Amino acid sequence: MKHVVSVSLGSSRRDHRVQVELLGEKFEISRMGTDGDFNRALEVLRNLDGKVDAIGLGGIDVYLFVRQKRYAVHDGLKLMEAVKITPVVDGSGLKNTLEREVVQILSEKTDLLKKGMKVLMVSSLDRFGMAEALFDMGCDMTYGDLIFTMGMPYPIKTINELEEIADRTLPELVKMPFHMLYPTGKKQESQDEAKVQKFANYYYEADVIAGDFHLIRRFMPAGMNGQTILTNTTTREDVEFLREKGAGTLVTTTPEFEGRSFGTNVIEAAMVAILGKPLEQITPEDYQDLLRRLDFQPRILNLRS
Amino acid sequence: MQVLATHAEITDSLTVFADNYNKNERLKIMNRDWNRVVVIRATDIESLHTLILRDGVVSLKEGASENPDLTVISDSETLADIFYGDITPTEPYNNGTLRIMGSEDDIIRLDFISLMIWGE
Repeated sequence: MKHVVSVSLGSSRRDHRVQVELLGEKFEISRMGTDGDFNRALEVLRNLDGKVDAIGLGGIDVYLFVRQKRYAVHDGLKLMEAVKITPVVDGSGLKNTLEREVVQILSEKTDLLKKGMKVLMVSSLDRFGMAEALFDMGCDMTYGDLIFTMGMPYPIKTINELEEIADRTLPELVKMPFHMLYPTGKKQESQDEAKVQKFANYYYEADVIAGDFHLIRRFMPAGMNGQTILTNTTTREDVEFLREKGAGTLVTTTPEFEGRSFGTNVIEAAMVAILGKPLEQITPEDYQDLLRRLDFQPRILNLRS
Repeated sequence: MQVLATHAEITDSLTVFADNYNKNERLKIMNRDWNRVVVIRATDIESLHTLILRDGVVSLKEGASENPDLTVISDSETLADIFYGDITPTEPYNNGTLRIMGSEDDIIRLDFISLMIWGE
């Protein structure tokens, strides 16, 4: 059996352990949240190093891809560098591949994504692949990075402006303490009421809300009117939260195991364990090929049934 | 020996910063509802300034203000370097040379504004 562990800066309330079979091989996949405690995450990572087959880093991005450029989040790098033996990934390699494919699948095989639909991405610089794929298929995009991270009432409407702002600011912003850019630990369990009220209209006006679930959750107002939520990691509690708020459909880009979808970091770590190659030799084509073999499909859940 | 910037140099750097901000129509739109008072205080010389953001526009005045939303504190040379755009605030902030008192949301926003003015 192969062991894959996701070490997350997020809440330990979401911890779990499942056994799954992938391509005929048994995997035990577990998650260990560290409640936003950076030093505890370092300690857990050092303890796991050399004892498991692959590690995923959750609750933090290490690499942000914007077209051909890659920006490294300094706090994320510190975590990654604590692991010397076991391959460790943050999900960004897979996100860039998988989430583009999910957009294509949804537009070709369902009515959930159509040209001209209004899509709010609460954050897009952590998943540029999805942001670009949605723009390229003709969606009316609102990239909400400045709205929700900076509190600026400024919707970015084009992929070019998103890239231009990223080029100006990301080289420095990635050096800031990560908790200033993204909710970690207990903050993930609460809503930012001031921003929920102030920016509710961006949610109401959208047909689709896409992006990181913690951010979607943190800013989602009550009284949604059947919107589709396109995201990755959700638990049963999250599904109930979306139902209560009035969302219509949940699409998760990663497969469901025992009632929850896993983060891309977990899936990427499992794929690395399957591939058995040194990380630096794994290419996007390896991921694409493996995704086809695994036949991962987006999970679509009607929240109103 | 530590280099000191003068009060006049800090004033000039802040004027350059404010002028560049006010010439940037996009920044004015982004910050149209961000009304804040920012005090800038040097630690090694007598120098106090206030940047006032109101309805998206920045103005500068000499001296401090009561109850600022943000207080930016550093040595004179670092302050002048930051507001002239010779260095970004990130490194001095992370190494403690630059201290900013205020909410984290406001701090990151001020950093973002600086990067939009002087970034790559």
